Amino acid sequence: MKKTFKNIETIFNKSLNSIETFIQSHPKVNFLFGALFEAADGLIRSTKDTAKNPPFIRSSMDVKQYMGGILVALFFGWVVPAIYFYGFMCVVPKLIVSFVVGVFIVDVLWVILAREERINEGGFVTCLFIPAFLPPQVPLWLIGVGAGISILFRNILGGVGHNLVNPALFGRLMLTICFPTMVVSGWQEPFTGIPTIESLMYGVDAVTHATPLIVFKETGEVTSYLSLLFGASTGSLGETCRISLIITGIWLCKKRIANWRIPVAYLGSVFLFAALFYLILGKAMVPPMFQLLSGGLIFGAFFMATDPITTTYSQTGKWIFSIGCGFITVVIRNFSPIPEGVMYAILFMNLIGVPIQSIILKLKYRT
Amino acid sequence: MIEKKKNKKVYKKGLNLLEAYPIKFSESVVFVKYDGPVDNFSFPFPDKKVEHIIVNLCPTEPWALPTRAILKNETPDFLNKLEAVRTEYFPDSHCHVVVNHQESSLVNEAERYKSQKDWLSIHTMEPVYPYDTPVLIVKNILGLDIAFGQNTIELGILLLDPQTITGIFEYYIQKNEFNTRLIPISGTGLNENKILKVRPGTPVERILETHVKAGIKYRVFLDGPLNGTEVEDLTQKIDWSVKNIVVLEERDYKTPFPYLKVNKLLFTTSLMGELRRCVYCNFCDDICPVNLEPALYWHCYTRGEKHKARLYALEKCIECGLCSFICPSKLELLHVIRECKS
Repeated sequence: MKKTFKNIETIFNKSLNSIETFIQSHPKVNFLFGALFEAADGLIRSTKDTAKNPPFIRSSMDVKQYMGGILVALFFGWVVPAIYFYGFMCVVPKLIVSFVVGVFIVDVLWVILAREERINEGGFVTCLFIPAFLPPQVPLWLIGVGAGISILFRNILGGVGHNLVNPALFGRLMLTICFPTMVVSGWQEPFTGIPTIESLMYGVDAVTHATPLIVFKETGEVTSYLSLLFGASTGSLGETCRISLIITGIWLCKKRIANWRIPVAYLGSVFLFAALFYLILGKAMVPPMFQLLSGGLIFGAFFMATDPITTTYSQTGKWIFSIGCGFITVVIRNFSPIPEGVMYAILFMNLIGVPIQSIILKLKYRT
Repeated sequence: MIEKKKNKKVYKKGLNLLEAYPIKFSESVVFVKYDGPVDNFSFPFPDKKVEHIIVNLCPTEPWALPTRAILKNETPDFLNKLEAVRTEYFPDSHCHVVVNHQESSLVNEAERYKSQKDWLSIHTMEPVYPYDTPVLIVKNILGLDIAFGQNTIELGILLLDPQTITGIFEYYIQKNEFNTRLIPISGTGLNENKILKVRPGTPVERILETHVKAGIKYRVFLDGPLNGTEVEDLTQKIDWSVKNIVVLEERDYKTPFPYLKVNKLLFTTSLMGELRRCVYCNFCDDICPVNLEPALYWHCYTRGEKHKARLYALEKCIECGLCSFICPSKLELLHVIRECKS
């Protein structure tokens, strides 16, 4: 088994090598597809580069593994539970559309036009985010538009390492502005109970029901915490099964891909501020435990706010950043007509992150 | 389960290289014959008064000479030599011997020896790179802050290599001939990791001759690949300051599916990835042993504001190279830091 795998690998490697020499020896082919080949090759094989400056050994962790970790966490965090709750036919076409439009159309065109050396793996992460924070019954073309906008925005800014705000959230913001009714309707009731083949394929009949936060705004009724935790309540496709999101999020923190300070400070500050408002202003406010377990908060805290590039670099800044996120989330949920505020909170704090970083540096290294 | 426990502390404020890259040396010591001209041992005795002598018996790099090769299970014997050197040349000084806290038998033996002597104190240390660099070892043991690159003799502190102590004892006190040095060779470019007995003055080529794997490209480093120097010219002769030789395989070709066989690819000169922009992952300031934020220097450098890097406590950097080692974007942080310093 191992031997056959090794043989296949050698043949594969040789054929890739010959394609590479072919492309490099034909300037016209190289002009059109050289960058594309380099990009695809970069996803399959390691680089040739060796260390030229000391230190001469390097850790095996690179950005590819870093992003791969996030992809794995997202897959088990929301894709697998979503297939159980809403059915294969609801989740997978959305993923396919998101990836085809985001990576294979916009990103590939960008690689050819802008002659970038590589397709950044960050794009996969962004495309995996897009369906997760849209309602289950959202039309497929909307997901395509969202993925296209996000990846285009990301590439215009310059890709991994240049992002000012989280590109996936920016795409979602654009969708909220352009198609305001579509992104806040179509919350499908999830399937619960022992799965059958039919339910795994198609989910239950498309009965829609308002999300717990909207229900609270309208009637003041609090959904049971257990159903919120295990995902038996309505919500966006990827944010309902909070228990799996928490487990994968903790795994990400253990792998040091996500910084543990951000979810801890974000969730903690949401709880504290919510409790504060609840104690002072009484029943009209959203109760603290309900705040923690509803909406996209868990998803946002573990996966969106921890996007390292859009937060501050300094560790102290990360605390301030996430406490700010928590405060804005609670304020929007409590005092504005909009039921959910995680997206606005993270986007706003992404922008505030830049001045936070420079102020922290000035304070820390004051002479 | 044990594996997981290991990884926990490996990357916190310094790198526990001994756990990350364990290297086993063969037991026997091989003598390398060389008939050409050799350097004789000499020790530049400091003209200032020495108050503290620090002897490091806790190598933090896996490719460094293991202590058992020097002590040969005769710790009191070695400490007697130290005492002889001290009484002869540095009579008013206090000796600090640093040992690995995991080697309990060595610690016990040294403690037993110490109970009769008041000029000696034993310190235990975790074998975490780069805790044995002058700046950190002086800070941990004496509580003194010294700048990187400062000569410790000015403060009356003498850092001695165990082999040098044996050398001073044999050559200056016993008046014996002393012209060999133990040099460990290791790395993926070799057939076997060995400890060699070498006469300083022997060319590197001659030392590695029979040990290098056939048919591969390799690069040779003196004093370890992390903060050592590369040997460009293999006819270069080694001198008394060389501590070890590491030969790494040069992996300058592409390998498919690198993420599936991470362990195999380790310990080569490969960058293990491609150069990217900084992703603010905080790996570098987690691993930095002196609590700096190396990515800030890179941000200054790419903006073309080298002078601004000095604002962020650049002078504290001890150039251990761990930030470059860990960086997932493969930034040349050590190179940038040196550029900013100059």
